[in-house]
Amino acid sequence: MTQTLPQALLSQAATRGSAIALRYKQLGIWQVRRWSELAQDVSLLAAALQQHGFSRGDDLLIISQARAEALLLALAAQWLGGSVTLLDPDLDHRQCLTRLKPAFVLAETLDAVQQVRSTDHSPLLLLYLDGRGLNAATDSGLSAYADFTVGITAEPPAPVSESASTAFIFHPVHDGQALRLSHGQLLEGARKLLSREQLGADEEALAARVFAASGQARYLLAPWLSAGFRLNFPEALATRDTDRRELGPTLVLGTRESYARLEHWARERLPLPGTLSHRLYRWAMLANANPVRRWLGHWLIRRPLLDVLGMSRLRVPLLVGPPLTEESAEFFGALGIRPGNWQEPAAPRESADVPAHLISHSV
Amino acid sequence: MSATTESVLLRLDDISLSFKGVKAITSISFAVKTGEICALIGPNGAGKSSLLNVINGVYQAQSGSVSYAGQTRRRMRPHQAAEGGIARTFQNIALFKGMSVLDNVLTGRNLKRRSSWIEQMLRLGRAPREDDEQRRHAEKVIEFLRIHPWRHVLVGKLPYGLQKRVELARALAAEPRLLLLDEPMAGMNAQEKGEMSQFIRDINREFGTTVVLIEHDIGVVMGLSDHVVVLDYGRKIGDGTPEHVRTNPEVIAAYLGTRRSRAEVR
Repeated sequence: MTQTLPQALLSQAATRGSAIALRYKQLGIWQVRRWSELAQDVSLLAAALQQHGFSRGDDLLIISQARAEALLLALAAQWLGGSVTLLDPDLDHRQCLTRLKPAFVLAETLDAVQQVRSTDHSPLLLLYLDGRGLNAATDSGLSAYADFTVGITAEPPAPVSESASTAFIFHPVHDGQALRLSHGQLLEGARKLLSREQLGADEEALAARVFAASGQARYLLAPWLSAGFRLNFPEALATRDTDRRELGPTLVLGTRESYARLEHWARERLPLPGTLSHRLYRWAMLANANPVRRWLGHWLIRRPLLDVLGMSRLRVPLLVGPPLTEESAEFFGALGIRPGNWQEPAAPRESADVPAHLISHSV
Repeated sequence: MSATTESVLLRLDDISLSFKGVKAITSISFAVKTGEICALIGPNGAGKSSLLNVINGVYQAQSGSVSYAGQTRRRMRPHQAAEGGIARTFQNIALFKGMSVLDNVLTGRNLKRRSSWIEQMLRLGRAPREDDEQRRHAEKVIEFLRIHPWRHVLVGKLPYGLQKRVELARALAAEPRLLLLDEPMAGMNAQEKGEMSQFIRDINREFGTTVVLIEHDIGVVMGLSDHVVVLDYGRKIGDGTPEHVRTNPEVIAAYLGTRRSRAEVR
């Protein structure tokens, strides 16, 4: 029985070691990591973190978009019994950083490094992912993530097994109490989600949301480790629509805003109103049409549109936060995508970073 | 110019150029140090683009010499310049509009290929491995200039500012030692100019590429350049740091004084 996220990782490595666990795009080419490779990577990172003084009860602060490297280091910190604080890289966290005085930091870009450096406090370890603009050669306090495990020979300890220990901490954008999620909470929530949405190891999930959202940890990361499906990272937020089209995920996690953005993106590309093509589109999108019209509409319009959106294989659209707007619900509903709302079964938490966490029925 | 021989990548010595008796450039000399960003400024018709064309061998100067990377030549053909590590962009975008961004950038890698055209056509011998290598290099440049969301889009469908960036990417794909940029920010709004300036600065800093650029926006030039050369009517009237040039009376006269309208100083 797995009690923690790293244990779940080891369990997947033991049962389906050669199956693909992660897919991420690097320089335009999709790269894969299998469960066994992932477990090795994370254990090596855990050994490196331990060598730098990270131990049980410490916290690793990450300021990054959803990237495979950030996920692996987060799991390595949790392997050692530490917690992970995730901050949104698009926001200014100077005040928060001054308050937190982080000792171990992973900063994705120059901007994130500068935010950490703007406080009086110097971390024990400051890792960066993207060295652009950083003068790492002359800055002794900075280390490249790419070189972090070079020369590490020590064996990592066994991963922690206390399910009550904190896995992730999410700080609200404004004042308020932080949300702490334990390994037990995450795995229990994942179990319920897998059961309700009938998620299995064959799912293709796309992690295109901000990494620093608790929904990402609850509804994507923990279920991924529990079910053993494939987690795909887009090349960048700007390329997520192209990457979704290439992947054809069966499981996506979005907010009202992200669904609305996609709807807007699709509507912008529709034929102009008044044209024959637009009339055909309207004809095909009508709900409650007769079966022949539904069938024709599907093959002529809706199916190609789903291909363009990268949603033709979508089975489970998850929704975090408030429900879709009426317009979005109508648009996606016509395409057979209905992220309905139901409150997640109560999970003990200190406070929420969004008003409510809602997940959907599968379609 | 006080640049020493060791640190100078490009030196123009007494360059003169005329077209059918009309003097475009008259006895211009200056040096560009390795790793610096040098701006050529001046009113329209001052000879800036002609000078850039002399540097990369499109025009042959009637007198004077160009020294590049320690070699002095009276004449240098464009292909010799390209092989020597000089790449350029053009005032008017010169891309293959019917090709994708990636394919355009890959054309910048042509000189790096070693396989024969037969190998490439039949994908034999060195060609497949080389294709992968060229693609990897092109993708690095595409990512560096943040044009990856459009890598498979036809260039002709992109907005002007992005096309300018693709042209810069194609030049950068050749891994140049010296990058010549002819009005890289022409026609751009303030935000696009800011982004392009940042990219040029990043190219200079991350790859150590020496940059010679022509730009009309004095604000951009002063913020971006280490060294400014001012031309007027084909003659050099200023040469030095941005601060030095800014206070040069002849430059002030050319830009703000009697001979040119204020409209040309943006």
